[in-house]
Amino acid sequence: MSCGRPHEVPCTQVLSLVYVYIDDEIDEVQRVQVTRHLGECGPCVEQFTIERRIRERVRSACGCEVDEEVRARMVARFRSVTYRTDS
Amino acid sequence: MLIERLHRDGSPAPVGCSTMTTVETDEERAQRFERDAMPFLDQLYGAAMRMTRNPSDAEDLVQETLLKGFAAFDSFHEGTNLRAWLFRILTNTYINQYRRKQRQPYQSSADELTDWQLHDAQEHSASAPRSAETEALERLADSDVVEALAAIPEDFRLAVYLADVEGFSYKEIAEIMETPVGTVMSRLHRGRKLLRESLHDYAIERGFIHPEPALADPIDEERPV
Repeated sequence: MSCGRPHEVPCTQVLSLVYVYIDDEIDEVQRVQVTRHLGECGPCVEQFTIERRIRERVRSACGCEVDEEVRARMVARFRSVTYRTDS
Repeated sequence: MLIERLHRDGSPAPVGCSTMTTVETDEERAQRFERDAMPFLDQLYGAAMRMTRNPSDAEDLVQETLLKGFAAFDSFHEGTNLRAWLFRILTNTYINQYRRKQRQPYQSSADELTDWQLHDAQEHSASAPRSAETEALERLADSDVVEALAAIPEDFRLAVYLADVEGFSYKEIAEIMETPVGTVMSRLHRGRKLLRESLHDYAIERGFIHPEPALADPIDEERPV
């Protein structure tokens, strides 16, 4: 699945940087190298795309909102413990 | 001190308090905490759900986090990240209490990994065409994604959750989990690999991907130069 062409930075190295790249935690020099590599290597682009999609999918599926009833209960309990009348 | 407290979140002091010269009362502090921290309730609860994996424990965990946060609110420094601070309390509380309750000793599986980058470069699990994998991802129900995440070991799961859902930086996750940034990276790395495999299994189970004989990934093979 590799394009088979020689690259300045090899595929294995680029793929090892996929997470720091999609998390935007990569240093500038490497970011430029990876971006350049992705411009010339389809198989690596596919890998990066999948990892990005997984991240988006997890984000959309795994967040959670508190049920109103539960929220009210938590706030009420918090207040019952913390609010004191300073007399 | 009073001024600092009133302006701790960088916003103007509430009307009526700006001219106060007395020490903040417990009640005022509780109100301030409520105003600043309660907006994160959904996020804390979401993380608690992924940690405990059940609504009742998640509620208790968040409740306790709020009370501990309030008790320690004086030690929270202005200008620092309240959301990360609360997540740290949540994580600590979970590790110290709920895991103990479940009699699961704290095991940092990720820390045993060595040379994960090298290891990873040799390991690809794609046995289906990539486009099929991407398409299957979109077709999976949210509940399957949640279960796939729930199936991976705790340290990995939490790191992935904090990064992917909450969007915390590596540095913030390191502070929340009280580990070095390198450990965060290895947990994320390993966790996402496992998650991808887990999602792949769900996709096969649902018939979105047809299992094929595993092929060695050509990326890992020697290529003509």
